[in-house]
Amino acid sequence: MNLIRNNLNITFLKDLFRRYYFSRSNSISVPSEIQKREFGYMHFDYTMVRHLSYSNRGELIATLVKDTPLDVFCSNATYKFPANSLESKGWEGADLIFDLDLKDLNMSCTSDHSYYVCNQCSTCYENSVTVCSSCSDRNLSCVSIPCLKCMNALRDETEQLIELLKIDFGISEKNIETYFSGNAGFHIHIIDSPFNDLDSIARSDIIDYLSGNGLLPESIGVRKSKNDFYIKFPKSGISFGWRKRIATDLGINSLSISKFAKIVETSGGYNKFKGELDKRARNLGVLVDPQVTRDVHRIFRLPGTINGKSSLIKARSTDIDTFKPYESACVLEDEEVFVKSKLPLKVSLKGRHFRIRNSIERLPAYAAAYLISKRLADIVR
Amino acid sequence: MAKYPFLEEASVYIRETKFTIDELDRPEMDHIVNRAINILETEVNFGKVYSGLERYEIEILRFLVSLLIVKSLDLEPITRKHSLFEAIRAEKFLTDDLVREKSIQKKKLLLHKIFRDLFKIEIDVSSGSNLLRLSISDYLIRATKMNEQEWKLVNRSVNSGYVYLDPDEAVRLIRSELSNMIYQRIKNMKIKVMPSKIKICTMDLRIKFSSHIDYRYQKPVNEYPPCIKHAILLMSKGENLPHSARLMLATYMLALGKKIDEIVYMYKNAPDYNEKITRYQVEHLAGKKGSRTIYSVPSCAKLLSENLCFATADCKNIVNPLQFGRNSKIQL
Repeated sequence: MNLIRNNLNITFLKDLFRRYYFSRSNSISVPSEIQKREFGYMHFDYTMVRHLSYSNRGELIATLVKDTPLDVFCSNATYKFPANSLESKGWEGADLIFDLDLKDLNMSCTSDHSYYVCNQCSTCYENSVTVCSSCSDRNLSCVSIPCLKCMNALRDETEQLIELLKIDFGISEKNIETYFSGNAGFHIHIIDSPFNDLDSIARSDIIDYLSGNGLLPESIGVRKSKNDFYIKFPKSGISFGWRKRIATDLGINSLSISKFAKIVETSGGYNKFKGELDKRARNLGVLVDPQVTRDVHRIFRLPGTINGKSSLIKARSTDIDTFKPYESACVLEDEEVFVKSKLPLKVSLKGRHFRIRNSIERLPAYAAAYLISKRLADIVR
Repeated sequence: MAKYPFLEEASVYIRETKFTIDELDRPEMDHIVNRAINILETEVNFGKVYSGLERYEIEILRFLVSLLIVKSLDLEPITRKHSLFEAIRAEKFLTDDLVREKSIQKKKLLLHKIFRDLFKIEIDVSSGSNLLRLSISDYLIRATKMNEQEWKLVNRSVNSGYVYLDPDEAVRLIRSELSNMIYQRIKNMKIKVMPSKIKICTMDLRIKFSSHIDYRYQKPVNEYPPCIKHAILLMSKGENLPHSARLMLATYMLALGKKIDEIVYMYKNAPDYNEKITRYQVEHLAGKKGSRTIYSVPSCAKLLSENLCFATADCKNIVNPLQFGRNSKIQL
């Protein structure tokens, strides 16, 4: 967990957050049937409060201004009694949500922009360490300032997911809401869909579909036999879904039985082909966080609220191609403040590039808040 | 109606003929009662689905008599078995009808009667082919109860929100729902006085079926299969079992008839153990919460695909962990 321990930092962030919730509350997007949703907060002291409910938007905003939490969450599920404990809430259904996280993409450049912060004394390190040299604590967190390459890869993965949802799942564009999480990921919310009634197990199957996990050679026509294998295309054809995706990747169609047999033979028979199929599916599939989609009682960051890990908001993207996450999500004030950075850093926010030295710097409040939230800097008063 | 005696039309027919179950004691009903007995014996003693078909007047009453006998027997395994076998019997007829029927209109009518009227599934004939299509969500609700990997969505023909299936696949998909529907009908039957003929044949069948029932359903499983042992071992060490392993363990223990409390207690060493959540999930799998569906134990093939299979020589020829140890008992 990313712990902000310095009281000056907390006061600075809390004031900024409160002013945002007071003056820009129209940026907060509440889901349909707000009275049936469970809300939760993470306070600045890292205590979590769940099972809250609001009857309308005004009531919610008033609480945000008054209490000013570090993070604000809302359930994807609707309940008869959202403020009750889990077993007596009366689950009615849950929006289908996907979370694409940068860390799952295993980008080769990650180590170039990752930093390590001691959870005990907040000392920062540019390279991975297992023990803090200042306080000897072993509990360190890795924080990252994603680069352009990372964000482009994340954008590509998100686009691929949206295409799959549109083409295979028939979900209309107006029911797909795409959000930058405010830190290093994208959330895709599917609203008003027939998938709301599905349980965790069915949602797991959707995850497997998106990632191509569990694809059988038989489903594209490679069947086991005494002589290893034979080709017989399924009666329902290979024109749709993963069958089509793999067929296109292999350069075959429903008429090319001998060509397909040759491909399987060349790859080393049924078992070897199965291994190759797994690899192709992994390459063609989309990596989404399975835990997030599977959980039908989860509370998610509320769109338009500030992400406590970055001081950026969870921002809606209406066109992923032109969306600039570090501009659209950076909404805190421009007023300049002094911060002491713990490391030399490069950050791009709101279209401005900051080259920060390991010293006291004057920065716009939004950039200072970003670094403080990541615990790479402290406010100087 | 002969093929699908569980449809509303069959109930209407019985109501219109003003038939009462007392009439079963009349000699001319012997043929129907004997036919129902034969079907039950074929199912229980030979594990086979009776495929013969008579005219609808006979089949509708035969179906009713079968349910009455099963109700009167009041043996849970027989109730479940008969419900399943009636479903499989109907499934065969329906597959044949869907494959043979050339008229799209008649095919649609049949689909609507079975899928929409009984189970509220909108299923349609795909234009230009013999395939049927249903929405992904309708598919998933049912397919995730099947243990074979071929039913995973990734192995299906999926396009624009629909899953495309052969008639036999589509019909197979509703087997467990049909079986549950018949099971519920038996359970919900309220008969004040059973006809004498049914009482007599019930006594006779109870004796005939007793050895089978004792062996098959009431003997405790003394030794857990290796997959279950492995999961229990990891759990006792406080290791974090994946979701699929937890599901396997809970469904297996439920199938053995363990109490919810006992099963919940098994998870106490899990690093993320939360009694309320665990209880909710186990009750969900037992069909007591949420969708009210009773989840079955995953097949060996499914467990293998999820890296949860630790088969030993004793697992030879079994397809589900529940079968572990049963072969050796037969030889004894």
